[in-house]
Amino acid sequence: MEYVKVTFPTRRRVYIDEEANGYTNRVLRVDAGTHRFDLGEGDSYRPRSRTVTVKDTSPEKPKRIAFRRKKA
Amino acid sequence: MRLAALGCALLLAACATLAPNPPLAKYEPKAGYDFERLQRGAENTDELFVILAFSGGGTRAAALAYGVLEALRDTPIEWRGRRRALLDEVDVISSISGGSFPAAYYALRGRQIFEEFPERFLYRPVQSELVRQAFSPANWFKLLGSDYGRSDLAAEYYHREVFGGASYADVIARGTRPFVILNATDMTTGAQFPFIQDQFDPMCADLAGVPVARAAAASSAFPGGLTALTFRNYAGTCGYRHPAWVELALKDHGSRVNMRRTARAENRVALADPGRPYLHLTDGGVADNIGLRGPLAALTSVNHPWSVLRMMNERRIQKLVVIVVNAANSPATRRDQSASVPSLVDTVTAAATVPLDNYSFETLELLRSTVAELNHEPGALRIELYPVEVAFEYLQPAEERAWFKNLPTSFELPRETVDRLRAAGRRLLAEDPEFQKLLKTLRAQP
Repeated sequence: MEYVKVTFPTRRRVYIDEEANGYTNRVLRVDAGTHRFDLGEGDSYRPRSRTVTVKDTSPEKPKRIAFRRKKA
Repeated sequence: MRLAALGCALLLAACATLAPNPPLAKYEPKAGYDFERLQRGAENTDELFVILAFSGGGTRAAALAYGVLEALRDTPIEWRGRRRALLDEVDVISSISGGSFPAAYYALRGRQIFEEFPERFLYRPVQSELVRQAFSPANWFKLLGSDYGRSDLAAEYYHREVFGGASYADVIARGTRPFVILNATDMTTGAQFPFIQDQFDPMCADLAGVPVARAAAASSAFPGGLTALTFRNYAGTCGYRHPAWVELALKDHGSRVNMRRTARAENRVALADPGRPYLHLTDGGVADNIGLRGPLAALTSVNHPWSVLRMMNERRIQKLVVIVVNAANSPATRRDQSASVPSLVDTVTAAATVPLDNYSFETLELLRSTVAELNHEPGALRIELYPVEVAFEYLQPAEERAWFKNLPTSFELPRETVDRLRAAGRRLLAEDPEFQKLLKTLRAQP
């Protein structure tokens, strides 16, 4: 089992490989390997998606995947 | 005149075969027999998520699993302020071979199983009837054909005599959980082949048009005694495209970061190969004789058609119960009482069954280690896990255990044996320490 924490200034849905998988700023479980993360529809965040290989994590040290607000 | 009549009868019999699985007109993700499309049912909550795995083992397995279903029906719980039967909380059933018969029947008929299934299947001399069918002149023409085998004949018998002519369209029409997954084995890839639409999508095939009996027959096509069943693969004809994770998992092949996930992606690609117009499915026990591999993948992967991990990320689950009903036997042998070289039959039987039993052992170990890993998660993530195991090896006293472990694998057992198996299922479930712990938290009262 691997762990990620997708961060964003507010609470948003997290999509892993195009499937809803919990919310931002929480530790989420994922199987090891390369996954695509995004925050769903809308053009309010950047980058639009991040593809990350997740391995060697723990609940205490999850892989951090950061998204930021899109600049106006 | 008589000869002509016989000829006509044989020809008619030859034509009276089940149609091949139909193509899927247009691919739509998550359509057809899909977990998320099923209603939970008024008495079912996601917070208490219950998975049953029914092993193979002929009527021995079917009766043991049926006994567990009876016990769950008779187990009252109090959950979320309401009383109900624990059976109403069952969300998924994954089954193999003999265990696929009660599973499929429950998918089709719900609680009617308790009125109908014993006489329709458990007490029936199914094996004798199958043998009689195979030797009937009416079936000779069919059995001479290269694209028709003994399992096709068995499927027709189950279709007529056990499942009342039902297809997956009838299961879909019921529209409620549990999501029942009958498992066979793809002979070419060696991969487990679950009868759900997600598996049929890459083949551009429509599970709705498949008789439930054919799925049960494929799941229980014990190699040697029964033949593999052939399914049509229409890959490339319906606009199917792989889910996003498949490409990513394929690219991980070189780094070997998660070979289980990569192998699942490769199996999906193999199903979608237009150069493979037929699939040959054999007994589900060849890939996994306890039906637990699918649930384990659901527990550990977000890339699964009914990912429990995804539901856990969504915080939909508080208590997760996995009940494994394992009817594995272990017949006594006098082999080691003699210096004689074991016979060919003895050796081949051992070669066929020993790896299967060892794999089942490792699969159960994988469940235990997965539970241990999840139990070590910190408080914010943690859910309550209850791995329950119903197996003859936990029976006491030893003489009784030996009696059950010596039962043969057959589709025909004496009525008294079936009744003892049903009772053993109830008793083993009630005595399991994890099950007792679960009931304590659910404040069940007799």
